[in-house]
Amino acid sequence: MCDVVTVQKIANCLGIDPGKIELNDEQVVTRTGAANKTVAGFATILESLARESKSETAQNSIVSREVQAQVYQWIEFAVLYVAPGSKDKYVSKQLLADFNKMFLSKSYLVGHFITLADLAVYYAISELVKSLSPVDKENYLNLSRWFDHLQQRPEIHQGEPMLNFTTIYLHNWATGTHI
Amino acid sequence: MSTGTLYTYPENFRAYKALIAAQYSGAKVKVADNFKFGESNKSEEFLKKFPGGKVPAYETADGKCLTESNAIAYFLANEQLRGGKCPLVQAQVQQWISFADNEILPASCAWVFPLLGIMPQQKNANVKQDVEVVLQQLNKKLLDATYLAGERITLADIVVFCTLLHLYEHVLDSSVRSAYGNLNRWFVTILNQPQVKAVIKDFKLCEKALVFDPKKYAEFLAKTGGAKPQQAPKSKDEKKAKKEPAPKKAAPEPEELDAADAALAMEPKSKDPFDAMPKGTFNFDDFKRVYSNEEEAKSIPYFFEKFDAENYSIWFGEYKYNEELTKTFMSCNLIGGMFQRLDKMRKQAFASVCLFGEDNNSSISGVWVWRGHDLAFTLSPDWQIDYEVYDWKKLDAKSEETKKLVTQYFSWLGTDKAGRKFKEGKIFK
Repeated sequence: MCDVVTVQKIANCLGIDPGKIELNDEQVVTRTGAANKTVAGFATILESLARESKSETAQNSIVSREVQAQVYQWIEFAVLYVAPGSKDKYVSKQLLADFNKMFLSKSYLVGHFITLADLAVYYAISELVKSLSPVDKENYLNLSRWFDHLQQRPEIHQGEPMLNFTTIYLHNWATGTHI
Repeated sequence: MSTGTLYTYPENFRAYKALIAAQYSGAKVKVADNFKFGESNKSEEFLKKFPGGKVPAYETADGKCLTESNAIAYFLANEQLRGGKCPLVQAQVQQWISFADNEILPASCAWVFPLLGIMPQQKNANVKQDVEVVLQQLNKKLLDATYLAGERITLADIVVFCTLLHLYEHVLDSSVRSAYGNLNRWFVTILNQPQVKAVIKDFKLCEKALVFDPKKYAEFLAKTGGAKPQQAPKSKDEKKAKKEPAPKKAAPEPEELDAADAALAMEPKSKDPFDAMPKGTFNFDDFKRVYSNEEEAKSIPYFFEKFDAENYSIWFGEYKYNEELTKTFMSCNLIGGMFQRLDKMRKQAFASVCLFGEDNNSSISGVWVWRGHDLAFTLSPDWQIDYEVYDWKKLDAKSEETKKLVTQYFSWLGTDKAGRKFKEGKIFK
């Protein structure tokens, strides 16, 4: 997930020209931005993007040191755990359940507003969410709500087909009438 | 960008709508200084601009006037708050604003205002159920939606949020709230938006629900003169002066109290419900005199000698939430408060309620005696405020165990079940 495409997508979200994004000899993603300055590593690149961007998401992510640290923590988590874990049948289940529980009482990952942490986890988990069946999605209603909320933003879905969460309403309604 | 003046009393949830909207749009709104509710808004100058005499009211820099909080909020909002470009979302914003005014507000007022002492308590009203229905509806909606309309914060969120403030502040304690997880998530999210925090500072979610206190309403009536329509209105100045001390309580609603409400509040004094029960041979006055004047060594045997088990009963009451007790003096006040509220029961009842333990580790329990064999508190609505927080057990008046317990509590000795030492006692007589 810490690949060139994701970095480019996140740069688009933030309304930033990322410059040149590529993998270096050690397969680490690097960014060569303005003035030929090069930064390497997913989290570091995201941080550099956030500093340049005037977008709401970027501004939210650096609103205080505490928020900054939490955002960083989630980006690392997304890279080290969410991205590889979402490819494993068992780990991914646990991941989904954990995030679902998390979003029971929170609207966003950090603070009470959208940050880079949401973007990083969103792109890390989107393939997994895409693979879920409607019945599966119903088990993760809180996660689905968060995911749907993000994908509705034009800067985030970036023209990709939107996932359908509307079946959830049907399921809700159907189970409700059985009682 | 709009600039203007907002007229309101402090902490008015309706004015919050406008002030929060202004935070989002950057509109410069000045809250009128020296606004005195009941005075400023009744002045000729004010009525000329705003004939209704109600607040919040808004005046733009070039003298245009607006009333009704939702309209003012709309005026001060930006495009995003009004629902963006999509007509459907704009309509949804209107939908939730109407929902707030027509569904949430009446239910919320019916529950919270009597507790704040600015409205008489409505007997037999299902106020809690009405609120539950509304909250459940919101909770369901917010299960799969982050915000009420569209994917951004809009006036829908701000207006519904402001309308829910009273409930979240005064009655939805954590045990009640827990049933509305999605709604709580949304509420906390809105509450913590920087634009909202700039207007509503230091908001605390309800820790302990308010309970009805008839005294508060009586005081409120005394202040506003609402219950004394027979007295000719005194000079205007005097009346205004009385209103001033309670700007917060004097929300617009109480003004709408009509004569029927006032009459309801002046119910005839209730008769003593104990009158319906056989008098028996036990005389509380005699026993209380002996208890007050003699040593326990004398008064307790006197009690058992005179006690009439046919017509009277002995009860043991244990406080349910001992783990929540902190300072012992506060616990003592708790007991004292309960005694005060049970004032009319005194004639036909006696109790010794004791506090055991120390600060942060204590318990409350007591032995009660009253006429009749059933739980006395259900006899009068005035007595039902506190009794539910106690576990009640009827004691067998003839058993040795009861004798021991009565002796212990009447003479303020010993320990509670958990071995905490006796700390303080209070006698209800």
